[in-house]
Amino acid sequence: MSFALAPVATPQRARAFTAAVSLAAAAAAAGGVVAIAAGVVRNDTRTLAAVTLVAALSFVGSGLVAWRRRPEVWTGALMVAAGFALFAGSLANSNSALPFTIGLVLAPLPSAIIGHLILSFPEGRLHSTLERLVVAGAYFVVFVVQIVMLMFMGFEHVTGCPCPTNLLFVHDDMALHSAIMSTQRFLGIVLATVAAWIVVRRWQNASGPLRRALAPILLTGSVTIVLLLAELIAANASTRAWAAVSSAERVAIALVPIAYLVGLFRARLGRVAVSDLVIELGRMPAEPGHLRDALARALRDPSLELAYWVPESGTYVGIDGRTVELAAAAGHTVTVLERHGQRIAALVHDPALAEDPALLNAVSTAAGLALENERLLAELRAQLEQLRESRARIVEAGDTERRRLERNLHDGAQQRLVSLALALGLAESKVEQDPATAVTLLQAAREELTQALSELRELARGIHPAVLTERGLTYALTTLAERAPVEVVLDVQLDRRPPPAIEAAAYYVVAEALANVAKYAQASTATVTVRTDGERLRIEVADDGVGGADASAGSGLRGLDDRVQAFGGSLRVISRPGQGTRIFAELPSRS
Amino acid sequence: MVVADDSVLLREGVKRILEEGGFEVVGQSGTAGDLMLKVRSYEPDLAIVDIRMPPTHSDEGLRAAQEIRERHPGTAVLVLSQYVESGYALELLADSAEGVGYLLKDRVSDVKDFTAAARRVASGGTALDPEVVSRLVGRRKGTGPLDELSPREREVLELMAEGRSNQGIAERLVITDRAVEKHITSIFGKLNLPAAPADHRRVLAVLAYLQS
Repeated sequence: MSFALAPVATPQRARAFTAAVSLAAAAAAAGGVVAIAAGVVRNDTRTLAAVTLVAALSFVGSGLVAWRRRPEVWTGALMVAAGFALFAGSLANSNSALPFTIGLVLAPLPSAIIGHLILSFPEGRLHSTLERLVVAGAYFVVFVVQIVMLMFMGFEHVTGCPCPTNLLFVHDDMALHSAIMSTQRFLGIVLATVAAWIVVRRWQNASGPLRRALAPILLTGSVTIVLLLAELIAANASTRAWAAVSSAERVAIALVPIAYLVGLFRARLGRVAVSDLVIELGRMPAEPGHLRDALARALRDPSLELAYWVPESGTYVGIDGRTVELAAAAGHTVTVLERHGQRIAALVHDPALAEDPALLNAVSTAAGLALENERLLAELRAQLEQLRESRARIVEAGDTERRRLERNLHDGAQQRLVSLALALGLAESKVEQDPATAVTLLQAAREELTQALSELRELARGIHPAVLTERGLTYALTTLAERAPVEVVLDVQLDRRPPPAIEAAAYYVVAEALANVAKYAQASTATVTVRTDGERLRIEVADDGVGGADASAGSGLRGLDDRVQAFGGSLRVISRPGQGTRIFAELPSRS
Repeated sequence: MVVADDSVLLREGVKRILEEGGFEVVGQSGTAGDLMLKVRSYEPDLAIVDIRMPPTHSDEGLRAAQEIRERHPGTAVLVLSQYVESGYALELLADSAEGVGYLLKDRVSDVKDFTAAARRVASGGTALDPEVVSRLVGRRKGTGPLDELSPREREVLELMAEGRSNQGIAERLVITDRAVEKHITSIFGKLNLPAAPADHRRVLAVLAYLQS
């Protein structure tokens, strides 16, 4: 359900209704005051009657305010009803039969309504079956049981009378009457106890903003419930004590609707906070993180976290540009903020705030432009962060490559040249006495030399294939294809020769992709397609192997991604198990 | 003959090997431009050219070789390189396999085989590096008529593509000329090629087949 905090446009009819209710309440109060002043009320309950009038007015007034604020919620109506029930209850002090009887019937009703109000705060609906049972039970006890009890109540025996005629009186059965009254009191105590327990539990489970809104109503409500309990228990004590507890209870009751209004006002303070927020945003220095603080203040949630949406990578990042995992924030609710239909950020906040979507909405609308600005900033930082990581990886890859080259030279060609020198030295010493051995040694030396040359050649090709510079991409890819251990179908169509750096990047994309095909794919055929598409160079390497390659796992593909991104290109890997692997790369075709 | 390479040491080495093999080296060049000049002046039977030479150190040797083949049909060209590209070989042999060679520099170390190759090229034959041939054979991966060849027939095919004569193949494989002829007939049959022509022409036929 949603509830608007903004005052609803008041049509003429609603205004007339408010006026009528106010007038009726004023008339009832005036009547009550006149009655008290004229001494119509029996002496010992005069204070109680006066306090009751005040409580009634408080209820009707607060109810009307609440009703205007949230016409879709029953709270306002309930409060007005409680007010009039309190007026009606005070008619029990009247000296004539009809008002006396009405008063007797309606006197306990406000307790049930107040219980209903407290349990349904703040949304205006009951939260559980237990609460619904308690409220239904309360109405039954104060209304149905009350009427049945009055039917068997002879007032001749009641202290504090002579009293007017009880119009509901059927039969004087003191025993039955006492039994019903005891039952009613017992049920009342049970229900009030359960209600108090529910209230305590709610308070314990509520947190942050909800507690702030709950505090006044729960405080006055629980005091009322306690006093109600006391009143029920004190019914056996003296009339004076009972009247005193009752008066205190009425005072507490009178405070309930005011507390409700305070709760409402606190919620409305949110709106004041929104206007503060707007002003603050207006003069806010463009300092990162400031917006989060301002929102945390406006929403009164110090634990509030703000994460910005980066559409490119499909992730949320903090203001520092680092990726944020929203799911990790346990015990918090996530609200996605949009601006002009575009997702811009997410608020990670106290779940209680979700009960006031209007406030969240107002705050995020007010902060829309600032949010968008900070989002762009965060996105920029995320890109910088990515760039920094990628740069570090490129440097690292360069170092790794150098180490690899050094090791290859050391273990390969260098080693062979050493043994070559050795063989030559031996041959030199043998050449005169043992020419046959010398020749064998020389042959071995030549073998060694051929191997060394071959290894150096492979190494040089690995560093940079000369044919790429000399003849370009198509040529170099042809060589690459014929050297690949799997069959490669090559389809290269270029409008013009791309710049050397782009050619090299494209070459290494295909080389690494084909190396992966050879190493992991268990494929029989690979297809390499290279096309110029306007200003872009599109490369696709597909194989018919096992698939299931993970672009983020291997450093090879990661390195390719870095290389491609360094030129403002992009790399995509689609590799479902059993469906082969397809690597798409896109590079600018001009520098 | 003329030897062109920007490394004096290598030039001298090649010169000595060839002179011992009975060649007369009439000139040496360190650049492609000088090579063209010497070829024009001496009109040698053979020019041995390194692919990478000044000024750009890329493929000017290859370009010079092609120019020589175009303008001086009387001069055969043997291109040497630190590495071989099958594409370069196909460029060199695009029109004719007559009097052209393309070998890895390493092959110089096998003096006998190298001088034989130089002599073959100088007399209008072909010398294609085994590595080029194996790459070209490698292009035809998977199933195909090539897989129907026996290992020996494959060897013969590769040696044929290198430009060797029947006698050269026979010596290499230590079999009789007759046996080589039988293998060649069988190969051409299996590959569905018309009857085997003489040496340098059949190189083109085999290369054309490998490229198709």
